[in-house]
Amino acid sequence: MKKRRFQLNEKQLGYAMVLPSLILVFVVILWPVAQSFWNSLFDYRLNDPTRSEKMMHANIDLEKYVDNHFFIEKQLDELADATDREQDKQTISKIKTGIEKYHSELLSDKQVEKKVEKVNDLLMAYKPVNDSELKYQQVDNDFAAAYRKALSSYQHDLENIAESLDGKEVQSDFQQTAELLGATNRSILKSNFIGVDNYKKYFKDKRMWRSLGNTTLFTVISVFFELVLGLLVALLINRAFKGRGLIRASVLIPWAVPTAVAAMMWGFLYDGQSGIVAHYLEVLHIVPSSSWLLSTGNGGLFSIILADVWKTTPYMALLILAGLQTIPGSLYEASNVDGASKLQQFFKITLPLLKSSILVALLFRTLDAFRVFDLIYVLTGGGPANSTESISVYAYKTMFSQQNFGEGSTLSVIVFLCVALISFIYVKLIGSELFAGRTK
Amino acid sequence: MNKRAGIGFYVFLIIFVFLVMFPFIWVFLTSIKPVGEIFSSFNWFTKHPSLDSYVAAFTHRPLVRYMLNSFVVSIVTTLLAVAFASFAAYALTRLPIKGKGLILGIVLASSMFPQVAILSPMFNIVTGLGLRNSYLGLVLPYITISLPLAIWILATFFQKIPFELEESAKLDGASPFQTFRKIIFPLAAPGVFTTGILVFIAAWNEYLFALTINSNDAWRTVPVGISMYTSEFSIPWGDISAATVIVTIPIVILVLIFQRRIVSGLTSGSVKE
Repeated sequence: MKKRRFQLNEKQLGYAMVLPSLILVFVVILWPVAQSFWNSLFDYRLNDPTRSEKMMHANIDLEKYVDNHFFIEKQLDELADATDREQDKQTISKIKTGIEKYHSELLSDKQVEKKVEKVNDLLMAYKPVNDSELKYQQVDNDFAAAYRKALSSYQHDLENIAESLDGKEVQSDFQQTAELLGATNRSILKSNFIGVDNYKKYFKDKRMWRSLGNTTLFTVISVFFELVLGLLVALLINRAFKGRGLIRASVLIPWAVPTAVAAMMWGFLYDGQSGIVAHYLEVLHIVPSSSWLLSTGNGGLFSIILADVWKTTPYMALLILAGLQTIPGSLYEASNVDGASKLQQFFKITLPLLKSSILVALLFRTLDAFRVFDLIYVLTGGGPANSTESISVYAYKTMFSQQNFGEGSTLSVIVFLCVALISFIYVKLIGSELFAGRTK
Repeated sequence: MNKRAGIGFYVFLIIFVFLVMFPFIWVFLTSIKPVGEIFSSFNWFTKHPSLDSYVAAFTHRPLVRYMLNSFVVSIVTTLLAVAFASFAAYALTRLPIKGKGLILGIVLASSMFPQVAILSPMFNIVTGLGLRNSYLGLVLPYITISLPLAIWILATFFQKIPFELEESAKLDGASPFQTFRKIIFPLAAPGVFTTGILVFIAAWNEYLFALTINSNDAWRTVPVGISMYTSEFSIPWGDISAATVIVTIPIVILVLIFQRRIVSGLTSGSVKE
């Protein structure tokens, strides 16, 4: 009998074949987008150690807490001996009992007590606490808040005493202990879950509205010009002529060049001193001065839109041309017989039959334009004074220049929601169109 | 519409091509000017052409390294993305699995997500895996963002192949995977190739992930590397124009050779046939 090799049936093979793509899409696109939503609900900053993790609950950094707490009692006793004023002694003993109360409340949980002991052992041996399970202890939000409040008021008390005292040495002893209480305070980490506060903040943020306005303006104007010019070019080159290959290639090259490289090229052409486009536009009195293009907000937007129209009109023309070529020539011949004018042919035949290709091209272009990043980031960097920033650029700067992932994620979620809205509107428009085509 | 082309039409064409190509022409002319002339005049042609800017473009910045990085990342991305996408497209068009509409919907919808919304969690994931400043750190997101387009185009091509071929293969005793590998995939080769070119260009041009994930100069790709030629104090337009010309040449060659395929790939999703 022949040995039969292990074989998948068609169905199993089918699932096995879509699996890699699905896994990638989930891991690299869907999961990160969900994470962005989640991150936007936190005050989450990479450059601030107390907020560099997302915490639904308050936590105590046991390594720092135990290390600081170890010295508190001893130092307070020393301070009580160092001062003669009864009033100060009372304050110090109040502080001592206060901290003792909170500390024993913390240790009343047997598990916490064990962890504290372990951390203590490690610290005694001068070893770092690397296990984050051991290092962080989740605590009740209210307890943490009360403890923090108590510690900061104690710190304040000690600082007041220090100011009222004479003698540098005593003063600095008090200051030092006050500092110690401050450090202990900082080892108790507040929950940085802030709900929709980030959204509330951006709802009132002028820079956000400006960048959203810029993005919308850029999208509407550049897509409009790309569509009109693209349609014009497509209509003109939709005929038999010599050198089609040349046209096709010259149309494809701007599309194929990296946007960042195109932006650098245009940056040179727009340059206030040596830019040729800036120079000619000034000579022709189209712009007030050659430096207007990149040194003012309006000039910057104009420059960005012009560069985008240059880069993308050819692509639009290609898509529309492909649509034009599916229109049967017999329709035009028949209308010629009926005596229709060129204009009538355009509005009664060309445009209606092009509708679905135009809508699909518009959908892709609008979504792309709304997500614009490279062109603006390289050409103007969002400047001058953030006046040409798109919402994606703003989000990127917040995330990676300010290291503020919470607020940056909020902005990127706003981009996401806008894009979802745009897609929804288009799909409503095109959906019925495509459906009509299918059921024909 | 077979209108005859007149002389006016060719004049229009020449103007059109000139306008579209003007930035490239001007940047090329600048790249062969001596540096002093770039800043002092708007003359089109220089009397003293020099290659100084090209030498500077290669020596001031690791341009060769940028190109190597871009090349490796784009090639690996293309091979893997095309493999995964053709699996998925084959299963979606020709195998009896459930939820095809849903799967295709998820994949296509994910192409509409703004990349900036993926960026920060992806940055954390890549950092967590220790893949920052590596090729794999870019290949992983690149494959994924090119999957929707690749699956879409390949599905269009797979659909055109007659279903009888599979049935006769089945009768001859081929396993389902053999049918895919030996019959359908080779027949769809033009489509696979077209998809590959588009994925390659997309990976070559990507900026946002490259900027964020590979921040070390030795791992930068061409678009990011070029955008870093400016310094705080001066903008070396000579170096920049030379570097631009150098990195544009491979793309021009690619476009000249494969223009028909590129056009058919670009328009395959948007036109009903």
